[in-house]
Amino acid sequence: MFNYRVMAIIKREIREKLLSRTFIFMTILFPFLMFGGIGIQFALHQDEANAKVAIVTENAPLTQSFQKELLTSDVMKSGKLSLMFFTMNRPELKNYLEEKKKDLLEGQITGVVYIPLSSLKDKRIEYYSKTPTNLALSRKLEGPINKVLIDSYFSNKALSPSELDFARKSLDFSGFKVSKEQNVKEEGYGNLILAYIFSFLLYISLLVTGQMMLQSVIEEKSNRIVEVILSSVSPKELMTGKIIGNAFTALIQMAIWISPIILIVSTTLIALPPELAFGITLMQIGYLLINFALGLLIYLSLFGMMGSIFDNPQDAQAGMWPIMILILVPFFIALSMMENPNSPIANIAALLPFSSIMVMPIKMTLVEVPIWQLILCLFVNILTILLVFPIAGRIYRVGILITGKKPKWSEVIKWLKYRY
Amino acid sequence: MHALEVKNLVKTFDKLVAVDHVSFEVPEGSIFGLIGRNGAGKTTTIRMMMSIYLPDEGEVILRGVKVGQEFKNKVGYLPEERGLYKKMKVNDILLYFAEMKGKSGRTIQKKADEYLKRFELYDRRLSKIGDLSKGNQQKIQFIATILHDPDFVILDEPFSGLDPVNTELLKDIILEMKQQGKVIIFSTHLMEHAEKLCDHIVMIDQGKIILKGALTDIKTEYSQRNVSLICDGDISFLTGNPIIEKISNFGNTTGIRVKETIHTQQLLKLLVDNNVTIKKFDANDISLHEIFLELAGRENGKEAFNV
Repeated sequence: MFNYRVMAIIKREIREKLLSRTFIFMTILFPFLMFGGIGIQFALHQDEANAKVAIVTENAPLTQSFQKELLTSDVMKSGKLSLMFFTMNRPELKNYLEEKKKDLLEGQITGVVYIPLSSLKDKRIEYYSKTPTNLALSRKLEGPINKVLIDSYFSNKALSPSELDFARKSLDFSGFKVSKEQNVKEEGYGNLILAYIFSFLLYISLLVTGQMMLQSVIEEKSNRIVEVILSSVSPKELMTGKIIGNAFTALIQMAIWISPIILIVSTTLIALPPELAFGITLMQIGYLLINFALGLLIYLSLFGMMGSIFDNPQDAQAGMWPIMILILVPFFIALSMMENPNSPIANIAALLPFSSIMVMPIKMTLVEVPIWQLILCLFVNILTILLVFPIAGRIYRVGILITGKKPKWSEVIKWLKYRY
Repeated sequence: MHALEVKNLVKTFDKLVAVDHVSFEVPEGSIFGLIGRNGAGKTTTIRMMMSIYLPDEGEVILRGVKVGQEFKNKVGYLPEERGLYKKMKVNDILLYFAEMKGKSGRTIQKKADEYLKRFELYDRRLSKIGDLSKGNQQKIQFIATILHDPDFVILDEPFSGLDPVNTELLKDIILEMKQQGKVIIFSTHLMEHAEKLCDHIVMIDQGKIILKGALTDIKTEYSQRNVSLICDGDISFLTGNPIIEKISNFGNTTGIRVKETIHTQQLLKLLVDNNVTIKKFDANDISLHEIFLELAGRENGKEAFNV
């Protein structure tokens, strides 16, 4: 398969892509864009922490216990959050809200947390704000408030302090939902960042490389240069050369992108704070690259096939949604895993054709994946290549020579049976 | 032995039979013309010879062996619809095409330079293809076709879009290649080119061969019974005459075909007896153009051959 003809094509593809402006721009700029994005988000979080919140309860002792608990809790350590405490009943609260409406709308006061007496029984508290959906804030206050409610609930019942501790503990625990996640957090908050970086890099790379492949096939087709090339090589050789050439370029790009991570992991040149430490091995990075290489072969076959069906970029953009879905869905699954890496969907997607390209490396970054699953994933991807490649090839060899009318999907399916 | 044998090729697209049982032989060292009007099936035949299309039926034999990659390596092919990578540089693209044929290195570079000089494009060798004029792009494409020194050169409509000077240059190079013992196959719908260059021809119409053989033989055969006539006066009385096979009006000239060779003298007598003023009576001349029109039907022929 790798004769001098295929090599000539591979060489040309690599040369053309590596020296193209798009490639250079993407390689240099994308990390900046991505880290810029993360930086902006970080800055926004910082901004949100600068909050002024009023805590309102219905009786003075309760207010005091909240004051005591909240002011000594971790929440206040950053110094960005300031709290005010009031004791009011519901009508008074109404007046207060009316009075402070302007402040609330202008953001002088971020929000008002109302803890009615009834909450001692049903734990329902109210939050008044311009942005009541601000999860970051409510998540911060949730723990301490819960603690006070538990304390007061059980203090009336004749329980020993140790029993109270026990009750409190279990409730605290449920506040973090997934025990494993806590483990991960302790080991390295860095892996969550890594997972984000990997999912965006894989997603963008597949998308951009695919687009480039698509354009290049369409160019050859609409330029009619393909006929000259086919007088020297077979369609299969041409497609193989193009796929390998483009995959190689994308792999180089990926390697450049993750080289800082490799550097951090393999050397002690750059030391990250312990909570940001990357819990990933070189082997795992190698696995990611191999898996990605297989994925490129699969997706580039599909993009090449699509390019051969259409003879102008507009039609191709409109017609390639099936492939876009195959890239988008795994990307969203990968993102959802940041919340819950062990969800059933993620577990299945990590071993399915197409989705495993993105999902498995992310899963591997977030949680321990058994070796057999990693191997099975590679195996599935190799099988997918063996299946996708011949189909794409059959459509490609017919498609690249057909110009003019945009073909119908039913016609494209007929191509599979053509003798060309 | 024939250099290339085309045996019984058939190619159908959906319901359209593009090539219908086409067979012909290309002799060694010849210039072979594949002629027919647009859409006759020339390009499809050539694509099957190049293994770009697989034929539904039939095969192409290269010196006794079925064509495959070996043939692709030995052939230089100029497709009808030209195309080059617009962003590549002239020199790079020439070397790339040669490399795909397995030729690279200093000799190829030297040859590329030679051809570029000959086509007066040497100073543009580092320009991008897209910056060249259309005519110059064609010249580059032609150089790319022959740069690797192929044994076979297949040119699909090589003269379309070339100015007279470059047409002559191309003809010179084709004749030169013939002298080097190469086989040149070209398709054209322009009969004059075929007539001036070809040793052998095949005429295709609606996917079928309507005529084939050595050009001289064909001309002799057709000219013997053919009279090219220019005259004043009404010749309609000839219609229905038992010695006449066919009368074709070509505007200035009238082509008359008689049934037997000896009938030409009778035809002349008949014309004189009927007081027709004869300006030209040529009993030994027929152009490929006329043969084609005769065979492929005049009505359709006229629109296709406004040359």
